[in-house]
Amino acid sequence: MTSTRANAIESHNVSLIFGENAGVFDQTYTVSEGTILGLIGPSGCGKTTTVRLALGLYRPHKGTIRVLGANPATFRAEQQARIGYIPQQFVLYPNLSVAENAEFLASLYGMRRHQIRRRLDELLEFVDLASARNRLGRQLSGGMQRRLMLVGALMHDPDLIFADEPTAGIDPVLRGRFWDYFRTLRDQGRTLLITTQIVSEAMYCDYVAVMRQGRLLAMDTPQNLKRRALGGEIIHLTLANPANLAKAVGALRRCPHVKEVRYVPESDRELYVTVDDAGDWIPEVLNVLEDPNGPNIVVESAEELALTFDDVFIRIIRQWEDQPIDQTADAMMGRESYGQHSANTSHTAHPDHPASRR
Amino acid sequence: MPTRPTQRTLITPHPADEAVRWLIRIRAYFLKEVREIRRQPLLLISLVAGPLLVLVLFGAGFVNSNPVLRTALILPDDLPAEMRTQITSLVGLNFRLVNRAYTPAEARAALADGDLDVVQIVPDDVFGKLQRGENATILIYSNAINPLVEGWIQYLAYAQVNEINKALLTEQTRLAQQQARTVGVRITAGANRLTELEREVSRAEQEAIRQELRTLRALIVQFRDAIPPDNLFAGRGDDVENLRARADDAIQSLDAVDAILASGDLERGLEELRDSKELLMLLDQQIAIFVNIAPETIVSPVQQRYQNIRTESIGQASGAYPAVVYYAPGVLALLVQHTAVSLGALALVRERMMGAFELFRVSPANMVQLLIGKYLGYTMIIAVASAALTAAMRLFGVPLQSSWLLFALLLLLLTIASLGVGFLISTVAGSDSQAIQFAMISLLLSIFFSGFFISRDSFAAWIEPIIALIPMSHGVAGFHDLMLRGVIPDAEVWIDLGITAIITFVLVTFLTQRQFRRA
Repeated sequence: MTSTRANAIESHNVSLIFGENAGVFDQTYTVSEGTILGLIGPSGCGKTTTVRLALGLYRPHKGTIRVLGANPATFRAEQQARIGYIPQQFVLYPNLSVAENAEFLASLYGMRRHQIRRRLDELLEFVDLASARNRLGRQLSGGMQRRLMLVGALMHDPDLIFADEPTAGIDPVLRGRFWDYFRTLRDQGRTLLITTQIVSEAMYCDYVAVMRQGRLLAMDTPQNLKRRALGGEIIHLTLANPANLAKAVGALRRCPHVKEVRYVPESDRELYVTVDDAGDWIPEVLNVLEDPNGPNIVVESAEELALTFDDVFIRIIRQWEDQPIDQTADAMMGRESYGQHSANTSHTAHPDHPASRR
Repeated sequence: MPTRPTQRTLITPHPADEAVRWLIRIRAYFLKEVREIRRQPLLLISLVAGPLLVLVLFGAGFVNSNPVLRTALILPDDLPAEMRTQITSLVGLNFRLVNRAYTPAEARAALADGDLDVVQIVPDDVFGKLQRGENATILIYSNAINPLVEGWIQYLAYAQVNEINKALLTEQTRLAQQQARTVGVRITAGANRLTELEREVSRAEQEAIRQELRTLRALIVQFRDAIPPDNLFAGRGDDVENLRARADDAIQSLDAVDAILASGDLERGLEELRDSKELLMLLDQQIAIFVNIAPETIVSPVQQRYQNIRTESIGQASGAYPAVVYYAPGVLALLVQHTAVSLGALALVRERMMGAFELFRVSPANMVQLLIGKYLGYTMIIAVASAALTAAMRLFGVPLQSSWLLFALLLLLLTIASLGVGFLISTVAGSDSQAIQFAMISLLLSIFFSGFFISRDSFAAWIEPIIALIPMSHGVAGFHDLMLRGVIPDAEVWIDLGITAIITFVLVTFLTQRQFRRA
């Protein structure tokens, strides 16, 4: 993939090794300006370390990393002023009010009082904290604390925002609002690198990097990742007559656009059909099955199968576990820089119980 | 949704403004610390009211710096009633006598059980031993476990025995003077009788004179035996020093006269009679001198007269302050140091543990700004607390004899040096509880070695460098000078505090910088 945008982050073969299988290994990735990259992976997979490397808090043992065109380990104040950071834990002060906490963080960036006042009003409004302006940090709920952290990170109007598990431990409604905030910030031209353990949040990102044991297993747009992980998109077929099931499988296998046909577990009249693009190929699949000169099978319903990103994530992890690391990484990652993609609904076959293969 | 401001408008763009931004960051840390502490009114109240309350309680409750020692006094049965009363009264001055009679064995058992602190046993025949030139030993037993209390017992016992000795010797001298007066009256008559013997006297008259002289001799012997030990007269001149020898000479001479009279050959003993008369006259003169000296002067030739020269300037009977006033500057120094050490000890370790260092490192703020901001914030809090405590102390009569400016300067130096110690603790402590533990150790160290309760002179010379490292040592000495004596503290106070402040700041900067890099 190519991009016309400049890269906010460029990481090339970066490794930071804390011990055997601990740390991050050979990370090569780029993040274009004005996009959201979600780092997804289980706890301890190296997401925070990746963020800290990009922030200059850690120096890599191997490889090079450049953030906003500079080496993060030697950031100058001008570069630091362009970066906002929401750490994993709530690090604001329980005995300071919401406004005082935000003012403190803004002052660390050298902002003057009148600038702080104006900016704070806007941001508190933005995250619905205006009414809690004078409430003390210790009186805030978990969600409010998270929103205050976001305000703190945005006070100095950064271009690049790192958020380390900003939605951990908060309810789904608030999580959705947070992703609304992030997308708004992205739309304003900011770049965001967001880590999360909640795999379903990948759908909110422009690009997703899947991490496991310090390694980037795959990185692409969410829909491309689905395609890569599942081999295409999946059509869920329900036949009117169970007796036609075997005949339908045979007819579909002969169809050149069908990549895979599998039985739906515990059903005698449903099939999963893998194609490149479900939207494009549903009519063709129906034509093949309902051809009066061919199988002449009555199809009760045909629709794209909407699987969660959890299934994709599990599939990617399993593929990586089944294959040598390098092969998996090479196969799963677009090594070149990627551009802007629109997020479309993706369809995929159920990864479990393969009933038949082409 | 907030509109995005024009690029880079929020951060003051001109490079010349970097200094302003530097100061803004310091102010950020300063305000943060002040606001956080301001939101803890109980902490602020306890900073001032706590030490003040302790001081008031101390002033109200403190009655005596000497330990109260429950004492059993066991006196011999042969001690005259008058002497009994006197010794009991003397022992009662320093020891609290219990109202119960003990045998020596019972007293020792009570001592072992902790029912008594001291047992004193006065030996039999004190006067007899005294007259025989022997020492009478008062046995003093204790079961003390506190070295300071044991020191007090030994000191008080020493002072008490001195007083008893003085009382005994004074009494004996008084008795000897009474004897001397009786002897003095008879000596003149005896000398006249010896003069009569130089003339022709009948045998009957000789016998009468002989009896008179024998009576005189017996009186002189009694007097000689009542004379206090010779060493008591040392340095009082030959007339008094040789009193016993003169009495012996007179006795021997009267014995010789008696022998002459027994032989009846007065012609041959004429020379001896004249010598004897001269010896008696000489003894008479010495007795006249002896009886005219007050017994107390003989027993205690040197007296003391104490004056605290402060009474001249302040016009009061006592120059020393009440204990509560004397300890007030120490309490102030303790408050300043302990508050500073505690705040400092928790300051960095909390930021580090909550992950704030990570946030600071990502920002353009640096560690020196953090330290300066925190130093300023805590210094202001402590200054306010100290000012309130000092004002309250003034209401309780604690003076400030020297200048306010020097007082404020010393307070500032003590605060900065103590904060340095606190921050140093913060850099090495791995957790809040560890930091508090280290702060408590520093408090313990200060109470023992700073001169707050135990004088710094009580310690060996090798420990002096450790004492010099404790800011409170200089605080106690400096505040005493400024508040109570009205003098400027020694240069050592200012220099040591300054060095401690600088060294700790440099060390804290170095260590925090390292931790900052690893955040």
